[in-house]
Amino acid sequence: MAASALGRLPPSSSSPSSPSTTPSSPSSGLPHLHNHPLAQSEITLPLRDRRSTPTTAAASLFRSTLTPPGSRSASPASSRILGPRSPARSSATFPSTMAAATPTSSTPTMAGSVFGGTPATLKTQSLLDHPAAENPGDPLGLMLRSFVPHVAIHTSEDVDELVADKGFARAGAGGTGGGLWELLRPFGEHVQGKVVVRDSNGAGKAWEDFALRFVRFGEGIEEPEGAGAGAGANGQAGAAAGAGQKPDALGLVEKVVERHLRFAEEAHIGVGGGFGGGAASPPLTPLREDDVDADATSPYYALYLRRLLSGMPLACHESFAHPVACVMAISSRNPAPIEALQRLYRETTSQGERGLPPWVDGEYLRYYVLVHDEEKGDITKSMALFDQMKRNFGLHCHLLRLRSSQSAETDDDSIPLPRSDWMTAAEELADIEESDFREDFEDPTRYIFESDATAIRTFVREMVTQSLVPTMERNVSVWNDQVASRRRGISGRFMSLSKKWTFGGSSRSSTGGSSSSNYDALGFYRADSPEAIMRRLADFAFMLRDWKLAMSTYDLLRADFQNDKAWRYHAAANEMAALALLIMPQSMSSKTRLETITQLLEHAFYSYHIRCASLPGAARCTLLAMELLRLRGGAGVDEAVQWGVRMLEARLTGPVGDALLRERMAVCYASKRGAGSRAWGARRRKAALWSVLAAEAWVAMGKHVQARRCVGEARAMYARLPGECGVQNFAVASDFLAELNDRLKEGLRGDGAGGAGEDLLGGDLDGKEDVEEEKVDVERETLGNKRRSRRTSLINPVAGGAGLETAPLKDMAAEGGGDAAPDDGFG
Amino acid sequence: MSYYFAIIGTQDNPLFEYEFGTSKQGGDGQARFAEQARHLNQFVLHSSLDIVEEVQWTNGQLYLKVIDKFFTSHISCFITGSNTKFLLLHQPPGATTTSSSIGGATTTTARSSTSVGANPTSPQTEEAIKAFFTEVYDNYVKAVMSPFYKVNMEIRSPVFRQRVAAAGRKYL
Repeated sequence: MAASALGRLPPSSSSPSSPSTTPSSPSSGLPHLHNHPLAQSEITLPLRDRRSTPTTAAASLFRSTLTPPGSRSASPASSRILGPRSPARSSATFPSTMAAATPTSSTPTMAGSVFGGTPATLKTQSLLDHPAAENPGDPLGLMLRSFVPHVAIHTSEDVDELVADKGFARAGAGGTGGGLWELLRPFGEHVQGKVVVRDSNGAGKAWEDFALRFVRFGEGIEEPEGAGAGAGANGQAGAAAGAGQKPDALGLVEKVVERHLRFAEEAHIGVGGGFGGGAASPPLTPLREDDVDADATSPYYALYLRRLLSGMPLACHESFAHPVACVMAISSRNPAPIEALQRLYRETTSQGERGLPPWVDGEYLRYYVLVHDEEKGDITKSMALFDQMKRNFGLHCHLLRLRSSQSAETDDDSIPLPRSDWMTAAEELADIEESDFREDFEDPTRYIFESDATAIRTFVREMVTQSLVPTMERNVSVWNDQVASRRRGISGRFMSLSKKWTFGGSSRSSTGGSSSSNYDALGFYRADSPEAIMRRLADFAFMLRDWKLAMSTYDLLRADFQNDKAWRYHAAANEMAALALLIMPQSMSSKTRLETITQLLEHAFYSYHIRCASLPGAARCTLLAMELLRLRGGAGVDEAVQWGVRMLEARLTGPVGDALLRERMAVCYASKRGAGSRAWGARRRKAALWSVLAAEAWVAMGKHVQARRCVGEARAMYARLPGECGVQNFAVASDFLAELNDRLKEGLRGDGAGGAGEDLLGGDLDGKEDVEEEKVDVERETLGNKRRSRRTSLINPVAGGAGLETAPLKDMAAEGGGDAAPDDGFG
Repeated sequence: MSYYFAIIGTQDNPLFEYEFGTSKQGGDGQARFAEQARHLNQFVLHSSLDIVEEVQWTNGQLYLKVIDKFFTSHISCFITGSNTKFLLLHQPPGATTTSSSIGGATTTTARSSTSVGANPTSPQTEEAIKAFFTEVYDNYVKAVMSPFYKVNMEIRSPVFRQRVAAAGRKYL
């Protein structure tokens, strides 16, 4: 049974035992290809072959979380890389993550507070030079790819028709499809090649992982809280209003992850642990070496974070989601192209019927695109039209040549269009629900011609390197000269001081306040107010990764917003200042730095959570800070966990988020390296504690596959302690652990009853014996006994085996070699 | 205010465990940990050994004060010359049990804030715990001097237990 299940397994969910072999696979000369979802033209087994169980039809929807945690869980397409037909192109997903994991093991230095010092190398580096930054599934990478320039797409009807001919549902009234946006979206997630960005000092730096986000024009606008609430000095009114109108973005995220988890559980039933064992629950393998992906991101956690970060609303308090550019597209079918473009332009101005709200700057870049129909259109005519466009609208134009017929999977030159990594939680939930309710659910993967993909990639690259980035650079330098540098000088400081003090006495009455600031009257800053411009400057700098400029600007803004009591703005500015400071190369001593960061985060958290009741904001701020602090290492790890605890205490998340967070804290602690042979200063016991807590939470939710992984991790952590005995000598605690184990087994047996029956029965007896033996041992052990340590070291592997019995045979086989496990009847 | 006191040997093995409550301010000396929190106390105490291992190098004192905090539980530590650790987990009274899902303490009846331990990091509490530790240390040394005692052996002497209880009543 298990074997046949394995036979059906697509290579996409290749088992965790394979990493040992994959690193030796020929790594191609294209080191960063795997980053790009579209870089591979090879497809492996088509999805339909997998419909052995009712649920696997939806496998593609959940594909992202079925990859082993070490690989790039982010991209559905890249999980297919290891196709049998393309040895040369199957460039290194695994090698890269391995490579990313190993250098962190560099010998820690004893600096700072006893063992708490950051590794010396990290002190002078930006976090981006940290090896983890290259690991695409890593939270830092996730963060960088979430704060990217947004490009709005605004098209004429004929473009929609053309794209509809290609098989993409039409955008517009009532339609759920996205038109051109849907076609372009996956290509924005990675701009091919290097993108050179100049910082405010004129020094250029090339980035390989530059990305942008395509959004539909005028979508996702979040109204600011009413002017009244904004003017209210205490912000309590705002808090109440905010709680009511927010549909709870966190709840949606939670639901999506829950669906994925449920799918993992069902997959576990469906193929009797073969599927689940292969993909969803890899590491019961005791982590023997010191750092086999100790900081690997759990796919569910990565998913949680990604969904939390995606779908940033077009809000007033931060300008990340404000369009940096707008693509105006017409097609060669349009009878009156120039007029159509002018109409599109008018619609996007603030006077137009679809104009953006007053807090969005209307002066974004307009990028004009002529979509040429390769099959029905006349290229000479299009070229002539394109020349005319260039004359009329300047250089920000592009001729995009697409074929207008639909590509089928069977075509020679078709490639699958990957699902977007950054779809919002609501979208994904809708997808999943649709797949559940409709029996004839079609594989959602769409196919496009390779020539189209190449054309779009070229278009995106050209737009970014020739229009978008230069425009942003220019804006940054202009705003920096005209607005921000005035404030930085000594007179600027006086200005803000005088503003504060002259009105300080009288502005308690609201009339004085409204005249003094740009905020009070409206409840938001208009796009042309200096504060809004500076916020944009800082955000642009952040997106262009000029951390220093971003940090200093956020720092100026913080004070302004605080004076104006614009709490949401204040929270966001504090948050981003802290993040920029964390990413920046460190210059001050790590202690003062940590204090500064803690203070910034404290303000951000308090403003988001208490003053504005913006739970997603608070959650985002804490999670990102936690990740970055963790990467900083040393004392940062403890700090990171403290923030995690804060988040648990504030009950920001539902049960799923809660359990994921606990799991994450275990990872945080596990990633702290000790010094010397006894690993002084490591946090293994703490890590194990959090793993146990996470397992408890998962069991309570009935997610046994997850729980099993956590228990395995806790056990591995305890096994790596110097005494190797964990909490075994603590009677109540070890009883609890045994009971948890029993409940877990019970649960897994209930789930997997149809599947790996034989394994279960076989292992079951052994398991019971083990537990009993363990208990007896605990009871009769006299603590001073010298033989104790020897005996416990014998118990440990067997106990490990007891948990393993529901794992697929393959895992056992992979493990039997190195472990003392063969005793339990499998060898 | 509930306390969980444990002496941990060099192999992470508990040599002695004792749970008690405050006897000040009319307390009855009974521990009021929630039933599901009892295993948690052991886990938490065990996990704070990580911190002990780090903090013990920062100063030459035997009494390390409050070294760790887990939700509402605070952990004080006293380390002996032979690397045996005295760990005291204390939960301030009336602490809001935000961690109840994790298994925090049941809220004891709120007492006046002057009681020892209302503020776990206040100098008075530190002093009281220090006095407790010192007295226990005194008795521990005497117990360990027994010719039948070997290193890392559990301390099963009823006299020792009585004396620890007395110290708890006296100071906490």
